[in-house]
Amino acid sequence: MKLEDATRYTAKCFNGEPASCSYACPFHLDIRSFLEKVSKGRWVPAYKVLRNAVNFPVLVSVLCDEPCRKHCQRTLLGDEALAMRDLEAACIKYAKNTKPELFAIPPKSERVAVIGAGVAGLACALNLAQKKYSVTVFEKESGWGGYLPNGENLSSHPRFADFDRDFALQFSAVDVEFRYGVEIKALEELAEFDAIYVATGKNGNSFGLLDSWDAELLTTSENKVFMGGTLCGVSKMEGIAQGIRASKIIEAFLQTGKASLMNVFVYDKKNCERYLKHDGAVSVPRVIVSSPEGYTEEEAKKEAARCLLCDCDYCIASCEMLQKFRKKPQKIAVEVATDMQVVGTLASRALTRQTYSCNICGHCKSVCPEDVDIGALLQFSRTARKNAGGESYPAAFHDFWLREMDFAVTEGFLAAAPQGKKTCEYAFFPGCQLGAFNPDYVLKSYEFLRSKYDCGILLNCCGAPAYWAGDESLLNENREKIWQAWNEMGQPTLVFACATCESIFNMFLPEIKRVSLYALLAEEEGLSPIRTYDEAVVFDPCNARNNHGLETGVRKLATKAGITLHELKEPNRCCGYGGHIRLANPSLYEEITQHRAEASDKPYIVYCVNCQDVFARRDKECSHILDLVFDLKKGLKVPTLEQKRANSLEVKKILMKKECGIDFEPETHEWDGLELLISDEIQKDMENKLISAADLKEAIWQAESSGYKFYNESEDLFMCSMIKPVITYWVQYRKTAPQTYEIVSAYCHRIHFKEEVKP
Amino acid sequence: MSTEGKNWKCAKCDKQLVLKNTNFFYLGHKFTYDVYNCPQCGKVLIPRELAEGRMAELEEALEDK
Repeated sequence: MKLEDATRYTAKCFNGEPASCSYACPFHLDIRSFLEKVSKGRWVPAYKVLRNAVNFPVLVSVLCDEPCRKHCQRTLLGDEALAMRDLEAACIKYAKNTKPELFAIPPKSERVAVIGAGVAGLACALNLAQKKYSVTVFEKESGWGGYLPNGENLSSHPRFADFDRDFALQFSAVDVEFRYGVEIKALEELAEFDAIYVATGKNGNSFGLLDSWDAELLTTSENKVFMGGTLCGVSKMEGIAQGIRASKIIEAFLQTGKASLMNVFVYDKKNCERYLKHDGAVSVPRVIVSSPEGYTEEEAKKEAARCLLCDCDYCIASCEMLQKFRKKPQKIAVEVATDMQVVGTLASRALTRQTYSCNICGHCKSVCPEDVDIGALLQFSRTARKNAGGESYPAAFHDFWLREMDFAVTEGFLAAAPQGKKTCEYAFFPGCQLGAFNPDYVLKSYEFLRSKYDCGILLNCCGAPAYWAGDESLLNENREKIWQAWNEMGQPTLVFACATCESIFNMFLPEIKRVSLYALLAEEEGLSPIRTYDEAVVFDPCNARNNHGLETGVRKLATKAGITLHELKEPNRCCGYGGHIRLANPSLYEEITQHRAEASDKPYIVYCVNCQDVFARRDKECSHILDLVFDLKKGLKVPTLEQKRANSLEVKKILMKKECGIDFEPETHEWDGLELLISDEIQKDMENKLISAADLKEAIWQAESSGYKFYNESEDLFMCSMIKPVITYWVQYRKTAPQTYEIVSAYCHRIHFKEEVKP
Repeated sequence: MSTEGKNWKCAKCDKQLVLKNTNFFYLGHKFTYDVYNCPQCGKVLIPRELAEGRMAELEEALEDK
């Protein structure tokens, strides 16, 4: 995997980057940092930020035309932009120590000539002198400052005395030779210098090099001659910025013999248009300057505090997973790539747990101003790891659901047109969990569809477990199976009851026409959904995001039932089930499910059976929309893993009989007849660990028939293991009657051991 | 070393279990640990405390490695 394969997912993320205002600023002043310091009255640190960016803060605070204010995100809220120049002036005024820093660098032998003591030339000279180059400034006039945009000498400006003091202050800590009244007429006069910066001002002498000027590198056709400032058509402020830039390019030239941007941080000015959403940000009016002397300290602090400190962290701020791992999106992308380069035990992977802890719910993308989808990045990581195999892929994280999928696509599979027909216009695709949770959800829905439409049935898994496990080949295999069945059924429109199935089909079988069961039910005038609650909240599943037909249909049905509906503050949050993170990160799973269950104190109406499963386990009051439509909520307990499989087979059996006239005989096992006595506490523990009673029956049957088991005489207990390819199961039990066993303990582990069993 | 299995004996061989250095492996890593085995048939016993304690910790560490 190349680094770009992963970083392209987060290329547009601008977390940690300068704010839009800084991109608009000619000096790329870190305005966020400056204003944050001002707002706290930290005048000296604020002054340093300002001074280091602009070189001559007094002049800039007076003459800058503030392009930053056009891109201040305060204006998106209808407020006036931050009063930058007034705040800069306040900072200069209140900073007690403005003495320039002394740099303890040994002097360098290279000599640089700067032609022109306007602000562009001064900026370049100051920076190079700070780096201890030997700098000489040649100026034909008798003093520094250059000209104003109107062509008049800067010294004619009413604030020139302040500018002059500031220039003197900034140059007070460096050695620069100023030669006033010296006009350079030909560059040959400066042959002894190692580099020359020409900054002779608007309409100044370019020594015939203007046409060869490179606006990026500030070079000319003469090897050591650089040029910039108003001479080259830029504004006065841009001229200062260019002088600073020139100093870095000239330094690179002196170090390497070649002009380059190696010391320059390149800003893409387009980014000044990159804005955050600011949902919920409060409007605050500009603080008015109360006296002609400018802001008081308190006024300046208050005005600076209006800065929104724009740095996008929407995804991190609202996702439990991103908060838990505390990594920035770009870092995650780098680790997705570098994790695949890890060899053996020499180094550690940094991202395994995080890769498999993402709900892949699309929430990060929905809150991101640039649509960056970290879920897609981590899904990419999962696929890459599965393809790489070996230790890159912790199979135990997804083994349970892949086994469930295998069951759904083999024993649970059924494709049938209505009785007596080979093809149909519609086919119900309930998904593997709907009937597993409650067979009536499928049977009643199908009965309705069958009565209204030319509708058959397609029982299968959509492939979500394979997708979330990153198993492309399994996903494709399943895709082809569905494709074939769908074609044999005459390419019917599929009716979905699960938003996850719908989104998987949207991604991998987009050719198949889809419709939501709930949209069809909502259109049906004759239905009278029952009122399970007076008031409720519709909990929209993550995969229904942007599926407005689905969301509207469910609300219509619930309203028809007479329920007063309320909306959650954040819709379409994943209940916790998405991405199958439960085994990879049990504590995070618990945290997320708890947050979702507590998102409202009102009961939930759900239309994803996985959401229902999650909330029912947390004892959160909730009804499936089908409970309302078909009056099904009658003290139904969450089925156990074993019951879920049995429910699925019952649905298949009934529908196979109905449409095909065939008595379905599920596959039988020798252990099916065993009866297990499992306390509620142990059952709950088993469900949490995703251990099915069917696995325990198989283990006990194997132990009882082979004799390979352990015995604890004092407690009259047996114990045995069952080693599956990914998980090893253990069960402690007591025989209470023929074929009947009391389960005392059940647990499992992922580490394998080598056992050389002799007969 | 795991001592939690000392109350168990092999029901098939009717032998008291003995501690034996046993090979474990997970995600490309190999290591050994003393656990109770049947001295006759070689069946390995992993008590719950070990499976959900040190083994679970190690699983987590190796998955993150």
